[in-house]
Amino acid sequence: MMESDISIIVLSLQIALIATAVTVPVAMLVALLLSRKNFRGRFVLDVFVSLPLALPPVVIGYVLLWIVGTNSWLGQLEKLLFGSTIAFTWIAAALAAGVVSLPLIVRSFTVALDGVDPRLEAAARGLGAGPLRVFFAVTLPLAYRGVIAGSLLGFVRALSEFGATIVVAGNIPGQTQTVSSAIFTRISSGDMDAAWRLAFVSIALAVVTLGVHNWLLRRAPGRMSSNSGIRQ
Amino acid sequence: MISFELQITRPGFSLDVAGEFGEGITSIFGPSGAGKTTLLNCLSGLVRPTSGFIEVNGNQIYSEASNVWIEPEKRRFGMVYQEGVLFPHLTVKQNIEFGWKLIPHSDRHLNPLEITEILGLYDLQSRMPEELSGGERQRVAISRAIALSPKLLLLDEPLASLDVPSKTSIINYLRRVHDEFNIPMIYVSHSVSEVLSLASSAMLIKDGKGKGFGRPADLLLAASVNGSGLDMFENIMEGVVAGSAEHLTKVRVAQIEIAVRKQNKKVGDKVLLSVGANQLIITPEEPKLLSARNVLKGCVKEIWSNNGEALAEVDIGSKIMVELTEASVKDLGIVVGQEVFLVFKSSSVKVFDA
Repeated sequence: MMESDISIIVLSLQIALIATAVTVPVAMLVALLLSRKNFRGRFVLDVFVSLPLALPPVVIGYVLLWIVGTNSWLGQLEKLLFGSTIAFTWIAAALAAGVVSLPLIVRSFTVALDGVDPRLEAAARGLGAGPLRVFFAVTLPLAYRGVIAGSLLGFVRALSEFGATIVVAGNIPGQTQTVSSAIFTRISSGDMDAAWRLAFVSIALAVVTLGVHNWLLRRAPGRMSSNSGIRQ
Repeated sequence: MISFELQITRPGFSLDVAGEFGEGITSIFGPSGAGKTTLLNCLSGLVRPTSGFIEVNGNQIYSEASNVWIEPEKRRFGMVYQEGVLFPHLTVKQNIEFGWKLIPHSDRHLNPLEITEILGLYDLQSRMPEELSGGERQRVAISRAIALSPKLLLLDEPLASLDVPSKTSIINYLRRVHDEFNIPMIYVSHSVSEVLSLASSAMLIKDGKGKGFGRPADLLLAASVNGSGLDMFENIMEGVVAGSAEHLTKVRVAQIEIAVRKQNKKVGDKVLLSVGANQLIITPEEPKLLSARNVLKGCVKEIWSNNGEALAEVDIGSKIMVELTEASVKDLGIVVGQEVFLVFKSSSVKVFDA
């Protein structure tokens, strides 16, 4: 392992971690809406957050570039705040990673929340708990395995992101070059040994995270099984 | 004291009830699908009605006209559901203290430990809900609701999923809870025996409408005359203890005497008798040499039949419904106006205090 490899891996982990940390609360809000509320536009919201799952990543990257790019009003705002747009910075890489992992996290969270009996939440409200306390004292403790598993899945997806990232953040060594884009560069330049080193790291990270993910879900406590005193 | 007037209009469902419940245990009963649970959910704040109001001790907690809506967590009504609905990730003790911890110290009138003792849960405090029997779970659910020092305890068919011994024991615990803590209760049920053995007043709901309010026995008598589709058709009779022999107690109902299992009661005590319509045998000839202790002469007043099932109303000095089949009506040649005998065992009669 070379020193350059290590710095690429660390940067990738940093970008994926920040992307997941920002995406998880957003995904939880969306999942709560989808799992608990019946509202007009539910269908539209479902399709909208699932879109990154179906779109080619390069299209996502292009749309993001258009949104954060210089000519958009957001781009103007970024210029005002940061002195330049966030396009082709690590922030853009994290944004791309977060957007593609959002649907996966939302789906996992929705399944986890659907497994929590709404009558437990109603009972907690009747006992004096406001909506926020109900969430932290009842919903989250009962769904936590699914929530951790979903976050891990999102993290793996963020880590492996390539298509959208390279369009909106580029492939700048030391700034936006992640494991995936570095492998792409090395393959392009015919440096196969170097490409393999990073590929192995990718595989190892994916295997470990997916292993933990599956272990968590298998051990999920039967999801409101008969032993909670509630018949399904 | 709680008074309310509630309307809900939704496609396929409507609720329009008004009532005023005081101290003691009030039962809301009626066939399933009548709107009993919806009414309870409106009171607890889980469902917002279309229009109406709810007032507790003179304070509005809901009024559509003045746009008042108190959230369920601020109402402090204890809720007990059919199947416990305990928090599966918390111990018995943590479940019981869940609501208690959320109320201000000055409002903590009851001590969870005391409640735990009264409901016989002292040794189970560190258990998880999944380790409890159905009856124990229900006792935890009741404790959890009482620990809130609620202004009102709402019980939604709390015994429906329990076996008979657990039911009897929970009924006893509920009586103790009522005696010890003096919390008014609203008790939703479709079981005649539960209503009679617990409630001091009752409200009958059918098809989303209040059909009457009063003493449970009066309402049940009215309901059984109208045939209100209760879980099992029970003949309810009011009587007076006439005397006890070695193993039997005789109860005088109107002009007749009915033998029941020996009761620990004095001559002259008022009682309610309940006999299931399916516990009665009808015969055109006076039977001799029977083990059943009740053979009563009567006159057939009316016969209804539907889908092979039949129901006969027999006047034995008090009107009694008998369940039989269309085939037996035909085979026995039973017709309106005919003299018949009703036969039933003393053990088929349930006895309640009037």
